[in-house]
Amino acid sequence: MHIPDGYLGPLTCLVMYAVMAPIWWLAARAMKEKLGDKSVPMLAMLTAVAFLVMMFNWPVPDGTTAHMVGGTLIAIILGPWAAVIGITVALVIQAFFFGDGGITALGANSFNMAFVLPFVGYYVYRGMKKVLGDGPSSEMIAAGVGAYAGINVAAIAAAIEFGIQPYISSGYCPYGLNLAIPAMAFAHLTTAGPVAAVVTSLVIGYMRKNRPDLLDAGAAPAEG
Amino acid sequence: MEAWMKKAWIAIGFFVLVVPLGILVTWSYGDAWGEWGSVSDGNTTWTPKEYSGGAPLPDYSIPGWENKLMASVGYWISAVIGIIMSVVTVLGIAKAVELWKGHNE
Repeated sequence: MHIPDGYLGPLTCLVMYAVMAPIWWLAARAMKEKLGDKSVPMLAMLTAVAFLVMMFNWPVPDGTTAHMVGGTLIAIILGPWAAVIGITVALVIQAFFFGDGGITALGANSFNMAFVLPFVGYYVYRGMKKVLGDGPSSEMIAAGVGAYAGINVAAIAAAIEFGIQPYISSGYCPYGLNLAIPAMAFAHLTTAGPVAAVVTSLVIGYMRKNRPDLLDAGAAPAEG
Repeated sequence: MEAWMKKAWIAIGFFVLVVPLGILVTWSYGDAWGEWGSVSDGNTTWTPKEYSGGAPLPDYSIPGWENKLMASVGYWISAVIGIIMSVVTVLGIAKAVELWKGHNE
């Protein structure tokens, strides 16, 4: 769901950068207060993991491709604000060095993948855990459902951003919401969502079983 | 570095080795809908104004390395470079945040 340059009109690009500015600031502040000597190398590693999983494209039945992002995974381990930092870093590298996602669209892409995705994923995970209770299997289900919800809500957000262009900015993405939303929803409900759910669930399940201390280190910074 | 982290990096290294699967299994597929150059609704194809950022490794590939083997090598190199840049950038930000923290105290 990396929106390239040329899809979003200038107004949308500016608004999305303006929305992201305070979010980036809050994330930096959260990092200042909460990330310690242990969690910084962890965030560096998880950012590398996010970069890598985004290179694993999967075929979508309609002939296109999709990939997971890894935002929910970072959010569960280190908290959603750490995920904002990690995914934004990956997106900046992708945009400037690999042409994946536009530079003018970086605000929008960050909003979808570095903010909406980890926060939705994280709070769905927390909600599911409240319902299911503690234990390894409920942990895995909650992580999988959270990752699935996060990436799909983020994909819909991206679809809305370029789907509104025909109504507000001519010369940019010509496809309206009636086309953009089904196309994005299909790819992520059928392919990227299940991949994200399985991978996130397995990694979190493995950590819960073998190194619960690493998970709990990240659970606390969630508040505030 | 702690032992678990070493293990985790070894696992990441394995996935780097197989990362060309990311293009090979989707070789005959189109791009992700709404990403990259053009987008189609089945009847018409629309192409946005060209990306102008001058990315050195566009589309995770080395320009000119087109066939499956060379594209895989290019993809592999892209993964390694991307991972190194991710780690260095996060550590750099952490350092900057640390300086900011020290400044406030």
